[in-house]
Amino acid sequence: MSPLVVALWLLNVTLDTVGQLAFKAAAGDPRAGDGVARWKYMLARPWIWIGVISYVAEFLVWIAFLSLVDLSEGVLLGSINIVVIMIAGRFLFKERLTPLRVTGMLLVTAGVCIVGVAGGG
Amino acid sequence: MTMKLARFYAIGFTILVLFDTLVQLSFKYAGDHAFPPEANWAWIVRVFGHPWIYVAVIGYVGNFFTWMTLLKHAPIGPAFAVTHLEVVSVMLFSIWLFNEPLTWARVIGALAIVAGIVCLAFAESGAHPEHDAPTEAKGALGVAAGD
Repeated sequence: MSPLVVALWLLNVTLDTVGQLAFKAAAGDPRAGDGVARWKYMLARPWIWIGVISYVAEFLVWIAFLSLVDLSEGVLLGSINIVVIMIAGRFLFKERLTPLRVTGMLLVTAGVCIVGVAGGG
Repeated sequence: MTMKLARFYAIGFTILVLFDTLVQLSFKYAGDHAFPPEANWAWIVRVFGHPWIYVAVIGYVGNFFTWMTLLKHAPIGPAFAVTHLEVVSVMLFSIWLFNEPLTWARVIGALAIVAGIVCLAFAESGAHPEHDAPTEAKGALGVAAGD
């Protein structure tokens, strides 16, 4: 894979993780209340906006990335997002990492490594 | 699970995978039309100057509503697995539409990823209440979980 492809891949996983965690932070705030008040509360705080901006940027980065690699390779490499988001969730939201989760994460990571190392990109 | 419910899931998840696949194929077409990618306004104009990006957006919206409808009833574990297993359908369509080679590395890599996703799906089933929608259930390029 060329340095540009690797850079876009890393940028994509970073933006996806930031976006997901920002939405989680916005939606999970217990002070937000319910219904319309909840939306007003969320829109008045930065988290939801950080999430939106991350997702818009990710959308463009992903299109650029896919135009440089085969689509079948691209979607397989993109699977790493699942793993990174779970690790980030573990640190930020204290989500549990059970043995089954760790096994799943290792398998996905191994698969991505095989595709990435073998791929000419 | 009744037969009727089983059919609801089967149809719902099939539609979800098809929307996911359509979105990724459209992204690829949009990127190809806008080639080469550049960090400037001209590239963004090229991306939005072709119909494919709008097909992607329509697929995105369809995906969102299908996902939300399914999550109302479906347990999160299988839902998680199905939404990430689109890698398989995307690979098959890529071979057909873009003449991409099915290399050994891709086959073995895909098998490992699918096995991992199945493990994570079982882990999700145990970790969350039935109607909970965890953050990691779906990414930005699918649809964000949580309402």
